Amino acid sequence: MGRLKLDNIHKSFGSVEVIKGVSLDIPHGEFVVFVGPSGCGKSTLLRMIAGLEEITSGTVEIENKVVNNLPPVKRGIAMVFQSYALYPHMTVFENIAFPLRVEKLPQAEVEAKVKEASGILKLDDRLKHKPGQLSGGQRQRVAIGRAIVREPSVFLFDEPLSNLDAALRAEMRVELAKLHHDLDATMVYVTHDQVEAMTMADRIVVLDDGKIAQVGSPLELYHRPDNIFVAGFIGNPKMNFISVECIGATKDGMKVRFAEGSELELPVVPRKGMEGKKLTLGMRPEHTNLEERDVNLHITPNVIERLGIHTVVYATFDVGGDPVSCLLPGSAPLKIGESLAISLNAEDCHLFDPDGQAFRRTGELTEIDESLLTHE
Amino acid sequence: MINKYRWWEMLLIYCGITLLLIFLLAPFVEAFVVSLRPIQALRSIPYRFITENMSFDAYHSMWKSVPLLWLYMFNSFMIAAAVTFFALIAVIPAAYAFARFEFKGRDGLLTAFLAINMVSGAVLLIPLYKVMKQLGLLNTYFAMIAPGAAFSIPTGIWLLRSYLLKIPKELEEAAWADGASRLYTLRRVILPIAMPGIVVVAIATFIGAYAQQFLFALTFNSVNELNPLPVGMFQFFGRQTIVWNELMAASLVGILPVLIVYIFLQKYIVAGLTAGAVKE
Repeated sequence: MGRLKLDNIHKSFGSVEVIKGVSLDIPHGEFVVFVGPSGCGKSTLLRMIAGLEEITSGTVEIENKVVNNLPPVKRGIAMVFQSYALYPHMTVFENIAFPLRVEKLPQAEVEAKVKEASGILKLDDRLKHKPGQLSGGQRQRVAIGRAIVREPSVFLFDEPLSNLDAALRAEMRVELAKLHHDLDATMVYVTHDQVEAMTMADRIVVLDDGKIAQVGSPLELYHRPDNIFVAGFIGNPKMNFISVECIGATKDGMKVRFAEGSELELPVVPRKGMEGKKLTLGMRPEHTNLEERDVNLHITPNVIERLGIHTVVYATFDVGGDPVSCLLPGSAPLKIGESLAISLNAEDCHLFDPDGQAFRRTGELTEIDESLLTHE
Repeated sequence: MINKYRWWEMLLIYCGITLLLIFLLAPFVEAFVVSLRPIQALRSIPYRFITENMSFDAYHSMWKSVPLLWLYMFNSFMIAAAVTFFALIAVIPAAYAFARFEFKGRDGLLTAFLAINMVSGAVLLIPLYKVMKQLGLLNTYFAMIAPGAAFSIPTGIWLLRSYLLKIPKELEEAAWADGASRLYTLRRVILPIAMPGIVVVAIATFIGAYAQQFLFALTFNSVNELNPLPVGMFQFFGRQTIVWNELMAASLVGILPVLIVYIFLQKYIVAGLTAGAVKE
């Protein structure tokens, strides 16, 4: 079945190393999303799995067979490209049938398979049209249809939705998730859009500069990021990072002091010998409150965005002047330039050491089923 | 579209166009008028555009004064068509390789091809003559076709390569991922998409070959039956007189094949020139 295993993959272009040792085991049927900022190597990694890019060192296994030197078609993969890569001179039918024509299947079988794919993708009335006459979403579905007819064990998607407008993207996201459920196939999906990653993935692989920053389920990455990079990448608006001073470890946490002097004990796995060091406290905008909680911080808003359900506030700390963003209730009584106090729960905060690695959080995570946090 | 020119600007533009067209078309008009005049009226002074006894007689009599005229025309057409055919056979794979593959000396080779264009065929006429003589190829169709094809290949490669560069690489990657071989992809995907570009190259080569065959035919051929039209037309040059009106008539009839080819394929040329313009 569609098991995909990467073992210590490296890729260099000349003297530039773009993939710096990636190992990953993807069981059959999983929907895995590679996400990361542009230039992190996620597309290159996908193209190496596809067989469009040579592997400098390491092995790629599909269905327990090393495929490093096999051409794409022998690997049992099918790929959907960002630009759709439809053949403009062929009809939708011929576009979907292309892989079958290459295999020289008999006409009756080709027609049966194309009909089946077009049925799944609701393209039945479009089979005689050329790609130029289709809308963006329909073109995308044709590209997916061309992948489906091959019945591959692994589907590879290279930013397939980035050419669509926002409304269509949301619609296609749902359709892809449904397709994954119906086809029971392994899917690897590359995107730079963390909303796509969070909504579709069984497991997210966050890539940073050619290395895996963290692998985990969407909620695991949200609640227990391993490092500052993942913490800052997952979540929208972005997590705030506040520099604090460590004033010592206790039995069940770390005590820190904010720039304005207030102190807070965070429920994390304590480490000795951090006294006096500069640490980074991570606070998600949605975890700020106007009511009194464990610690108060004073900020002055610069920009206020009223979205109805929420209010997004971009502000600066009164002491220190670092920028901070908050997600507050829609009717929050705020004014630009008027200082106010926001309050945090200790168990909502993240703490990172000077190397950017997270202290493991121990606190009760706000009413989340533990099985959603660890993916097995 | 908003018309952003004032009336006098439009007037100037049209005057310019008219001037240019007069300049370009005057020789053809004069050739046509000459072909209609009786031979005695050719040198009438003062010059008159319309003369007495104008007729299409020359278009009948030319076939009699030069009996092999139809054969010369056929030869011209055949040589140009053969040049186009052989040039395309070389140009298509070469342009594809230059557009898609990274190999040592690729850019150097391309520059060399461009440099060859600066050397006119006339410079190489004598060496080519010696080569043809050594190989025993003088007085054959081959001697007139091969140099013509060779000289049109560099331009063809440059033209088609720039067209192929505009075809997105992902189309080939998609075909490769679906199991198609290089040649299958070239045949089923690249060539159909590049067809407007190929037609442009074919027309340019055909017209070029039609125009340049005079030099090669004059040098490498002395068999009358193999001559193309430009050489064959020398037979209108008599010992005392040149039969200008029949000569012009034959010239105009000789241009006809190119004109017809152009009229039928010009929509491809327009399509070829605009294809990349509005690609998403």
